[in-house]
Amino acid sequence: MRTKNTLAAAFALAAFSIPAAAQDAAARFDAGTISGLGARNIGSATMSGRISAIDARVVDGKTLLYVGAASGGVWKSTDGGTTFKPVFDKQPVQSIGAVTIDPKNPQVVWVGTGETWTRNSVSIGNGIYKSTDGGDTWTYLGLPDSERISRILVHPQRPDTVYACVPGKLWSDSTARGLYVTHDGGRHWTLALKGPNASTGCADISMDAKDPDHLFVSLWDFRRKGWTFRSGGEGPEAVSGSGLFETHDGGTSFTSIEPGKDNGLPAKPWGRIGVTIAPSDPKRVYAVIEGVRSALFRSDDGGRTWTEGDRSQAMVWRPFYFSRLIVDPKNPDKIFKPNLPLIVSLDGGKSFSSTGGGAHGDWHDLWINPDNTNHVIGGDDGGLFLSHDGGNRWWKGDNLPISQFYHVSADDQDPYQVYGGLQDNGSWVGDSANPGGITNARWEPVFFGDGFWVFPDPADPDYLYAEAQGGFLGRINRRTKQIRFIAPTAGFKEKLRYNWNTPIELSPNEKGTIYYGAQFLFRSRDQGQNWERISPDLTTNDPNKQKQEESGGITVDNSAAEMHTTIYSISESPKDGRVIWVGTDDGNVQLTRDGGTSWSNVVGNVKGLPRNAWVSTVEASQHDAGTAYATFDRHTFGDMDPYVYRTRDFGRTWQKIAGKEHGLRGYAHVVKEDTVDPDLLFVGTEFGLWISTDGGARWAEFKGGNFPSVAVRDLAVQPRDSDLVIATHGRGIWIIDDITPLRSIDDALLARDAAFVAARPVQQRIASFGGSVEGDAKFVGDNPSNAAVITYYQRTRHLFGDLKIEVLDPDGKVIDTLPASKRRGLNRITWSMRVKPPVVPPAAQLANYGTIGPRVVPGTYTVRMTKNKQIYETPLEVSVDRRTKLTVAERRLQFDAAMRVHGMFGEMTGLMARINAVRDQAAAIVAKLPEGDPARSKVAGLGEKADAIRKEIVATKEGGAITGEERLREKLDNVYGAIVFYEGAPGAYQLATVDALQKEMNDVAARFDALVAKDLPPVNDALKAKGAPAIQVPPARPVAQSDVSSADLDAAFSAWRGASFGRGTDLRGAKAKHVAR
Amino acid sequence: MHRRICLSALLLAASGAASAMTAEELIAKNLEAKGGRDAIKAIGSLRSTGKLSFTGDFSVDLTLDTIVSRTGKVRQEASLQGMTSVQAYDGTEGWQIQPFGGRKDPEKLSADDSKGLIDDADIDGPLVDWQAKGSTIEYLGTEDVDGTEAHKLKISEKDGDVKYVYFDPDYFLEIRTVTQRKVRGSEQAFESDLGNYEKVAGVYMPFSIESGPKGAPKQQKITLEKVEVNVPVDDAKFAFPASPAASK
Repeated sequence: MRTKNTLAAAFALAAFSIPAAAQDAAARFDAGTISGLGARNIGSATMSGRISAIDARVVDGKTLLYVGAASGGVWKSTDGGTTFKPVFDKQPVQSIGAVTIDPKNPQVVWVGTGETWTRNSVSIGNGIYKSTDGGDTWTYLGLPDSERISRILVHPQRPDTVYACVPGKLWSDSTARGLYVTHDGGRHWTLALKGPNASTGCADISMDAKDPDHLFVSLWDFRRKGWTFRSGGEGPEAVSGSGLFETHDGGTSFTSIEPGKDNGLPAKPWGRIGVTIAPSDPKRVYAVIEGVRSALFRSDDGGRTWTEGDRSQAMVWRPFYFSRLIVDPKNPDKIFKPNLPLIVSLDGGKSFSSTGGGAHGDWHDLWINPDNTNHVIGGDDGGLFLSHDGGNRWWKGDNLPISQFYHVSADDQDPYQVYGGLQDNGSWVGDSANPGGITNARWEPVFFGDGFWVFPDPADPDYLYAEAQGGFLGRINRRTKQIRFIAPTAGFKEKLRYNWNTPIELSPNEKGTIYYGAQFLFRSRDQGQNWERISPDLTTNDPNKQKQEESGGITVDNSAAEMHTTIYSISESPKDGRVIWVGTDDGNVQLTRDGGTSWSNVVGNVKGLPRNAWVSTVEASQHDAGTAYATFDRHTFGDMDPYVYRTRDFGRTWQKIAGKEHGLRGYAHVVKEDTVDPDLLFVGTEFGLWISTDGGARWAEFKGGNFPSVAVRDLAVQPRDSDLVIATHGRGIWIIDDITPLRSIDDALLARDAAFVAARPVQQRIASFGGSVEGDAKFVGDNPSNAAVITYYQRTRHLFGDLKIEVLDPDGKVIDTLPASKRRGLNRITWSMRVKPPVVPPAAQLANYGTIGPRVVPGTYTVRMTKNKQIYETPLEVSVDRRTKLTVAERRLQFDAAMRVHGMFGEMTGLMARINAVRDQAAAIVAKLPEGDPARSKVAGLGEKADAIRKEIVATKEGGAITGEERLREKLDNVYGAIVFYEGAPGAYQLATVDALQKEMNDVAARFDALVAKDLPPVNDALKAKGAPAIQVPPARPVAQSDVSSADLDAAFSAWRGASFGRGTDLRGAKAKHVAR
Repeated sequence: MHRRICLSALLLAASGAASAMTAEELIAKNLEAKGGRDAIKAIGSLRSTGKLSFTGDFSVDLTLDTIVSRTGKVRQEASLQGMTSVQAYDGTEGWQIQPFGGRKDPEKLSADDSKGLIDDADIDGPLVDWQAKGSTIEYLGTEDVDGTEAHKLKISEKDGDVKYVYFDPDYFLEIRTVTQRKVRGSEQAFESDLGNYEKVAGVYMPFSIESGPKGAPKQQKITLEKVEVNVPVDDAKFAFPASPAASK
């Protein structure tokens, strides 16, 4: 799109002076430059996401609720969960481990970042935060190396004393872990209790409600690697740093509670321990202790002696994931344990029952209302659940869009659909747009388990591919929902190693060809009926990383989450189907250039990259067969920095194109090249989205639409619409509509004061209706704009003087003036593509359809921006909705018909003005004439006749009730609506109605003309005889439909009435005068 | 068309700001940038006319005409199809006429629904004489406002409203305001972006105000054509009409 600067210098910058500093601001490429593109979240909240922490308080009879999402920030509700707002979105991390409301002051909230349910996909935090204004603003209070925080307790009498229970780093040694305490509100922290080694931190803490300086604390020895995990030591009997501790002096000194002959505790080593003191009875203490004999233990003497209680499977099940105990605030015998289902004991821990009802599984935290213990709120892998019967039956929260996508793809329907899989929430298909908004119901589940890659089958749209964890590949019939498992299976004495998140690749060159990766690469050319093994083992095949049956530490945990030495990323070059790239989780980048006959590992050519880095993405270029990109993720080694490389010579050499030195933060998950501009690159990391428009020389973080610093796991460019679809792991799917403007960013553009920027072609998308009443407690995703989106760039924020944007029709006539956005960098505004609405005569009620103007005919329009006296112009091509078969000729028929009615409204307005003139003058004269004056009744009679005619034209019954009164104006409004809301040619019957209404209006006009011709002269004669001024009738103004301009009518009408009407008078001269003062 | 026309942002247009930085300094700088406290105080009445647009896929424009008196009264009119909606505050209570559904009788506004009008009735805005108004202020450092690292000020007002004001770092004029208030016990937050500043009677005023619920697109856009000061004011215009408005 060309832009031109038609007016060079504006030297006389009116009277307001614009200080030089900002005007001279250097061009920048940063978040402010690009984020004006905006982004929209399409959810979903029907499959919400993992919640790791909850705190709540009853305030003024309502439940104040804070929800900490595992990787989606903090959400606040002041109405018990009916509505939420995210309050942590401006902070640099979004993984939450702990949320605690100050017991004395509910405006004070503490957040510990970094989830402590340390599954393979867990995110990371960066310390502790506090808000003193209910979450509006946050102060970072340190613990920068904590990585994750499991609990925060605030002293109920001395709120400046706060305990932070820090398990610490999951992937590496650290001494910054244990129980921290501050006595000055977080300014200084002391490590009050630490473990015996660099992998032991604090797992849980509980405070005595009657003696807040009395606390139990558990320490936990744990470590995760890419291929193994341990809770406790390296095995069931190995030494572990885990332990249980007690302090009676607020953390100054601790006693280790060791298993002894008489105290009933199980033998060490221990793993993760959850401990809690019953709020209503401080002598009652519960601990769930992971050991070789994992069980619930109960003390009735404040922790001196313990009794083993329940040791069912629920006590053995994944202690690293479920280790929290919540005792009913009033009943010390009632205890909940978030578990695979939520479980509850009513007998002091002797036995537990499942009480999760119809809720999702994998619970993590629970709050019980102390004022009404039937009111229970919990969080699990599926989101938030609320109970009003003491935790037996559950409402699902449908308003937390914290879904954790691993991957995303998009199809080519119109509007397109998006496909993706989620942590513990299966695989889904959702709409990118839907009349009335993208409600939860617009997402359809297609596969079970944990979901990852999902693709529609390009060879057969009735089918799609999806998978569950560990290589459960399915081909699903979208109509019948039938699933066929099609994952390649093992041969003789063979184990196929499928990653938790096994890659599926669809060939970009051959419809129907798919790839699937274990340690070997498989290819099917017949939709999974047959598979060829087209590679040897492409991994390091390191046997030390294949001991998953020993994984877990004390409690074996071999869920496929630690499966390693696997293929993790596959990419066939769109430019050459024989070129296939494979990345493995153990650090290999393998390339074949002959369709799989021969392979070479090229990772050794990536200079500066430590060995065995997880290849989170390898991606063939869209534009060049020899070019590929790779992201390397080393967070499983404790290195949280991003590594993004590119090769342009089939892997012989690699250049680092993005890293922390480029300003990126967080380990990298994905790199994506634009489908059009090879220099436009996107990188998703654990902390957000970064964009380069120059092939990786410089990068800017994308923050548009309040996009938070959430993990971006995958990206897809929908090529037809140029949309960037973002899979976040914690905040659902986001879409940047139309990334075309990014393709235009270069130094020349950035240096300009202002410029229009090219965007995708504008369609006149059909106006449609949809949606249903859902109340306030449901998430609804935003739609893309149906209006014309106009994009422009400004080097600095526009602060002073007018910034005007006008739209000109193909004849050069200004047809609309648009409010302009002011931000620095890219700006977007919308034009409804409608001419001004008709001028409608005033009546009892609004003529609803008459509030909008007809949509313009497709063609080339011009957008003109006037900024500080400089003028910029750009053409705007407007076309029909490509989903329709409408022709421009049909669109013109609609427009012309609509404009005819538009003109009739104007004509009616003119007629009404004349009628009202007679009526009003008559009324004014009558008011002045004495009763009994013979002229008075004549004048009054004339006024009554005029008013009778008025009442034939417009509805006049006021009062606000449903009058159902239809006169000419209302009838015309109805037919106008029928014409305006259908983009094609109107029906002949509609045009016939227009004809009929025109005739009716002509009749009325004729009667008024007759009144003026016959009834008025004798009245005026009578007035003249009295020496009174005659009643004047303003001239009829013929209105030709072809030249109807609402502005003209408006001006004429305003002039006649002597008051502004419908739109503002042009007061630019007056403004200039003011400015000059 | 029953949405409230919130002009509070416009009327914030009188305050000050400063360097490295206390809240008081920030306010002082803003006042200086705006044209000075005296110039603001010299405004006895303020009339703004222009356009109120509700943008989106279907945009609707209304003619806007607002008058504020230093006596703490305001009247806002928005017109469409020859009908004029009115919202006003007479110094004691708020009222409105919403004619578009067929009823032109004036009606009283609840105390909570009047809060925005009360803000609008203050020509000076919340920063001038904040102490006398019983507010507390707090400087909150800088925060990104669409690519501009703006100074952020928190104003806690006597009536419980909390306002966040963001100031341009070079010129110290307001570029964004967020108003939080409880309406029938439920918290609401409204955000406005200000721009197109022009000097009127020696005071910079924003001629562009884009507003919406915090976190949502700002689809309510006011574009002023003209602002006049010290225009004649008929106090009766602010008062609850004694009889229903004449029907036309």
